[in-house]
Amino acid sequence: MFKSGLGGKLTLKLDDAELGVLSQLFEQMAELLEHPESEAGTDPLAKMLNMSGSTQISEDPALARLFPDGYPGDEHASADFRRFTEQDLRAQKLAALATVRDSLIDWSGKCSITAQQAQHWLKALNDLRLVLGTRLEITDEVETDFEADEPGIHLYNYLTYLQGTLIDALT
Amino acid sequence: MSAMPIEDVAIDVMTDRPWITLVWNDPINLMTYVTYVFQTYFGYDKPKAELLMLDVHEKGRAVVSSGTREEMERDVAAMHSYGLWATLQKDD
Repeated sequence: MFKSGLGGKLTLKLDDAELGVLSQLFEQMAELLEHPESEAGTDPLAKMLNMSGSTQISEDPALARLFPDGYPGDEHASADFRRFTEQDLRAQKLAALATVRDSLIDWSGKCSITAQQAQHWLKALNDLRLVLGTRLEITDEVETDFEADEPGIHLYNYLTYLQGTLIDALT
Repeated sequence: MSAMPIEDVAIDVMTDRPWITLVWNDPINLMTYVTYVFQTYFGYDKPKAELLMLDVHEKGRAVVSSGTREEMERDVAAMHSYGLWATLQKDD
């Protein structure tokens, strides 16, 4: 769990089981983000200008949730928006993941987290919950049985708890 | 929803703000997280951020900012970086 500490720094404590679960989930998340579907047909000039992002929303519901359309009901404007923003957004998400994965290397049970690292943790944990929640088809907070004895639900509840401790520590 | 603070109304009347950013309700993002994002990114105070969050939660969506199209595209991209479901449109 996260706790607020001295001088605006936070501490994060994880036992071995938590460390194992988080390391694995963050690794899977990085794989999901590192392999966008539409690498084919990338124009080198567009790539050089950092404009080689895809233009269509993903068919994978989890990726569609992470990279939604910007303009509801306007395919053309959404495609343009995506072309200019998705690559940068993906890079930001990967950078946050890299930060949190780095802090788990040589883990000794707990560590100190700077304010900037905390923002990366917050976003990376939230992205994980979005992907897992979408995969678990959590579409309604009332109808979902969060008490269900299923591994996916246990993981999701754990991530909710961990993110909650981080928000508490930050506010 | 409660009345807008006077200074906000004044800004809205004085400037041309034809585009809006909407944040939509979703069952995964935590209410405390959404409030935190509104405070952190937009600099809203906690009561305003909580009102907007409750609007999103109860009415399904809320207008969280208004301005030029470029400004709203920036806000929507920022919301996406936090994992909030945001869109922009012309304010008709």
